[in-house]
Amino acid sequence: MSRRLEAATIVAASLLAAFAVALVNFAWGGGLDVQVGLTFLVFIVSFGGFFAAVQTFAPRATPLLIPIVVALVGLGFFEIYRLDTERAGLQRWWMLIASGIGVLTLWLLTKRGTSALRRYRNVILLVSIGLLLLPNLPSDWAFPLKGLEVNGSRLWVVFDVGFTRIQFQPAELAKLGIVIFFAAYLADHQRALREAHRRFGPIRIPEPRQLIPLVMAWAGSLVILVWQRDLGASLLVFAGFVLLLYAATGATGYLVAGGVMTITGAAAAAVMFDHVQRRMTAWLEPFQHYEDEGFQIVQGLFALGTGSLAGSGPGLGRPDLIPNASTDFIFAAVGEELGFAGTVAIIALYGLLIAVGLGISFRSREPFRKLLAAGLTFILAVQVFLIVGGVLRIVPLTGITLPFMSYGGSALVGNMVLVALLLRISHEEAR
Amino acid sequence: MPDIILALLRLIFLGLVYLFVWQVARAIGTHLGISVRQERKKGSRLLFVKSENQQGDELKVSDVTVLGRSDEADYVLDDPYASDFHLRLVAQENGLMLHDLGSTNGTYVNGRRISAPAPLRRGDTVQVGKTVMEVR
Repeated sequence: MSRRLEAATIVAASLLAAFAVALVNFAWGGGLDVQVGLTFLVFIVSFGGFFAAVQTFAPRATPLLIPIVVALVGLGFFEIYRLDTERAGLQRWWMLIASGIGVLTLWLLTKRGTSALRRYRNVILLVSIGLLLLPNLPSDWAFPLKGLEVNGSRLWVVFDVGFTRIQFQPAELAKLGIVIFFAAYLADHQRALREAHRRFGPIRIPEPRQLIPLVMAWAGSLVILVWQRDLGASLLVFAGFVLLLYAATGATGYLVAGGVMTITGAAAAAVMFDHVQRRMTAWLEPFQHYEDEGFQIVQGLFALGTGSLAGSGPGLGRPDLIPNASTDFIFAAVGEELGFAGTVAIIALYGLLIAVGLGISFRSREPFRKLLAAGLTFILAVQVFLIVGGVLRIVPLTGITLPFMSYGGSALVGNMVLVALLLRISHEEAR
Repeated sequence: MPDIILALLRLIFLGLVYLFVWQVARAIGTHLGISVRQERKKGSRLLFVKSENQQGDELKVSDVTVLGRSDEADYVLDDPYASDFHLRLVAQENGLMLHDLGSTNGTYVNGRRISAPAPLRRGDTVQVGKTVMEVR
């Protein structure tokens, strides 16, 4: 894809977003109003600006990534607009901020490149742990930075300076930092980890000593689970680490061990903690608990079923009946209004996104960049799997947002930084 | 707005989404496929047109190949004027690249002795000692 074609595709994706918003308006008896124009304008400014910045700061980056991202943001945005016009306005601001921070990331990396990330891995890990702990700040002290508990999870930080209040989820940025650290750590220890194996039939079993990092990552993710009650982030961190360990060593033993640890951890958590127990019940018997735990999942399934093949049409369904439709359940909401056809297109776009990400990793020669590209792609893929699987009742619901589509500023910022990092890696590895 | 037009627009929207997905998928496909296909098409074979013992032999270059008289070369040249490690061929996206490895008697591309790495195109001849190869 040439640069010109990439620019044209970005414009086309922005037009699709505006078209979908117009369709919602038509369904409500409106017309081509200021919302349609504003949507197109914000998409062009934020992603066109991001595209221009990539041309300046990482000119050899792959042209395949941004168009997919714009299409996904657009397909999520029209549904947010349909569910809550006020949130759509906020999301437009977040789009501008997120691409701004993406541009900033690209600019910061122009001088020293991604190798700087490898060098400062310990600082990055400490900052990430600090970010993860921020929500545990007391919520009633005088300092303007406060923690906040929402729906039983401590994920939010409020920055309250009197005239304005900004809420964000620091975990969205922290998980990128943790992946950077994992990639740097594994790039250093790759050889030692790869060679210390015992063969056990066709499966290669890692030496017990080599399992220490795995156990530490497991313990760390359990700490997140217990202290912050964030099932999603905890699973994401652990799954990301296990997959990266497998990518670095090629030892299937790690996947087996990781799977066993995930299941034992989840089972233990289900017995010990109420909130995990409720998620399990909602997953296994949603219809028996329609009145309480299962309500959201059942509404989501109803929405997908109502959507049928081609959907009710934008603005013509009732996705507003699902609790948290614009964040956790955006996939079900889009599934109701665009139907099976729409959801298949979304899954295809995520598949292409992951293919491009892994392609960047495969083409990289330097181990750290290779692992970083793989790790960033893995956490994206795991997130999509966990939330789409949760909505479809394949896995328990974990309260992770759908990357690029869900309403939420911190997630959008985090994911744009992720895209900027992938673009930077592909620029550095271009031949 | 009449329902029928709305229904039509809805389907048009879905169609456009699929058109978009298709375009991106195709772009990714060609992006990944191009290098493989070109490597296969362009100058990745060398035919020995003139040689004492190797005339008619064919050599495929898919990655990096070192030619020379030594047994440890990727492809052994049976020519007394060739050095142990005479030249290196590198397959690139747009054809072959020839590097002379400091050979005693030099490498000639189209009759000219090369002093720097030379790109090879179809039909070019490479001469080492008395051996002449043609890029196919």
